[in-house]
Amino acid sequence: MGKISAPRSNREFIEACVKSGDAVRIKQEVDWDNEAGAIVRRVCELGEAAPFMEKIKDYPGFSYFGAPLSTYRRMAISLGMDPASTLPEIGKEYLKRTNSEPIAPVLVDRRDAPCKENVLLGDEVDLTELPVPLVHDGDGGRYVGTWHAVITKHPVRGDVNWGMYRQMMWDGRTMSGAVFPFSDLGKALTEYYLPRGEGCPFATAIGLSPLAAMAACAPSPIPEPELTGMLAGEAVRLVKCETNDLEVPADAEIIIEGVILPDYKVEEGPFGEYTGYRTSPRDFRVTFRVDAITYRNNATMTISNMGVPQDEGQLLRSFSLGLELEKLLKSQGIPVTGVYMHPRSTHHMMIVGVKPTYSGIAMQIAQLAFGSKLGPWFHMVMVVDDETDIFNWDEVYHAFCTRCNPERGIHVFKNTTGTALYPHATPHDRKYSIGSQVLFDCLWPVDWDKTNDVPTLVSFRKVYTQEIQDKVTNNWTDYGYAPVK
Amino acid sequence: MKNLWEVFVMDMGELAEGKELELTIRTLNPGKQKYTYQRVKAEVSSQLDKFADALQVRLGRGQLSNRQFSIRVIETVQRMPERYR
Ligand SMILES: Cc1cc2nc3c(=O)[nH]c(=O)nc-3n(C[C@H](O)[C@H](O)[C@H](O)COP(=O)(O)O)c2cc1C
Ligand SMILES: [Mn+2]
Repeated sequence: MGKISAPRSNREFIEACVKSGDAVRIKQEVDWDNEAGAIVRRVCELGEAAPFMEKIKDYPGFSYFGAPLSTYRRMAISLGMDPASTLPEIGKEYLKRTNSEPIAPVLVDRRDAPCKENVLLGDEVDLTELPVPLVHDGDGGRYVGTWHAVITKHPVRGDVNWGMYRQMMWDGRTMSGAVFPFSDLGKALTEYYLPRGEGCPFATAIGLSPLAAMAACAPSPIPEPELTGMLAGEAVRLVKCETNDLEVPADAEIIIEGVILPDYKVEEGPFGEYTGYRTSPRDFRVTFRVDAITYRNNATMTISNMGVPQDEGQLLRSFSLGLELEKLLKSQGIPVTGVYMHPRSTHHMMIVGVKPTYSGIAMQIAQLAFGSKLGPWFHMVMVVDDETDIFNWDEVYHAFCTRCNPERGIHVFKNTTGTALYPHATPHDRKYSIGSQVLFDCLWPVDWDKTNDVPTLVSFRKVYTQEIQDKVTNNWTDYGYAPVK
Repeated sequence: MKNLWEVFVMDMGELAEGKELELTIRTLNPGKQKYTYQRVKAEVSSQLDKFADALQVRLGRGQLSNRQFSIRVIETVQRMPERYR
């Protein structure tokens, strides 16, 4: 593998984005109360350059970086690739790197860790000293964690988890969050800490390198510090926490340390979500007590503003969910030709291309997909043949509307796992993470005679000889048409 | 000075008048503390001049209610167990 030169910190990433025109420096003062959030939201909806807001009302010395990864260009930059790289190229690179050898993190001395430049302990600990934004008007609170990692360690197995689980500021020392029961942290809490009544040490890292953030929200079975190393092509630098045994990225902008309380809860939400709605109601949720805050000089807080497409939640999670499913299906020997999630589906629909070599292949794909760790995050699987371009929605939609038989092609899976955020789910199902899912099988049945039963596709590329196609394309402008790009 | 508070309810019935309520409210006073919560014992009234402070209400998904209240915060309630404070 050639040398990768990906940005190693949020700062290097901002610099690279400014240089390529993919970030804008905003010099005028921006209000943390709604204004910053509204800027980020508009940027997402327009597909604009990321806002680097250098002056925040009430919080001199802090800045914001919004919508860090809401375009494929910025995703390419984060991986150290040409910003003009296409989605299939970026996907290929992700697969190559995440199929390589894990790269273990290295521990550095606190003197070499910028995140220790300022340390608040004891009575100095106060979240209101951080520029925590009110992201959407009407949110249940100011959100500390919108683009971050909650770092914990499994008490028995010892493996480390970095997960992006939203965190709201309840008061200066208390946060609450939505940690789903099927997430890695959710499972550690329900299997271990809650039944024992033990507090779970945590550290929240904000302003991560873009690849660490990518790892924290990727549904990969590889522990996130190693995964970050593989994506970056070099080891992540970690440093010990002040108040517990955890290790945090040394180059992060802000670290919040504390304990998840096993027997005390405060309210959380509502919050604007990746589906484009506020769906999950206010409720008593996982509660974090804060013991320490450390941060870099001139710290930058990262902000994701989830809502209608497209934001980094949709873009990145569609990307990694699709590619992780591709890896899983290939590991089971299924002849998949590609997997794609359209970010505009708010990562609800998996489009799988496959060589339909045997009967029931679509069902096998759906069972693996829904039955995997990825399953709760999407409720539709659409399977098309290897001649349909999965990245071209017009082609996929045509295949769906013409080949999916209402009686034989649509299969509903009941009583599966869902998230609390599904807008279409009943309030009861949301509360208990009860899901339902559906397969749209858009393959020609294997038992249809290929010559006489399967319809032939009538398109310019499929019905004319190469000779005729060449003649028509070469004469196109002579006929009087504008050239085709 | 008049304080401005906000409460989230699923149902307006949670804001019964003429009796002491226990509510989780957040301050809307300007400054760094804005939107931080506390648990309080309080009394509310739809008569806006009954109590000194004002209370606005949001519903389950953050929708601002057009009903306004006045509020008297009697005392703060510490629900968090002593050992965690
Ligand atoms: C912006 C953003 C916010 C998220 N918020 C949550 C959340 O509040 N709760 C949750 O369980 N997952 C949330 N997720 C999804 C998790 O980050 C994702 O499932 C991740 O892979 C964590 O996986 P793990 O639990 O398998 O480690 C969020 C993702 C993104 C991109
Ligand atoms: Mn994990």
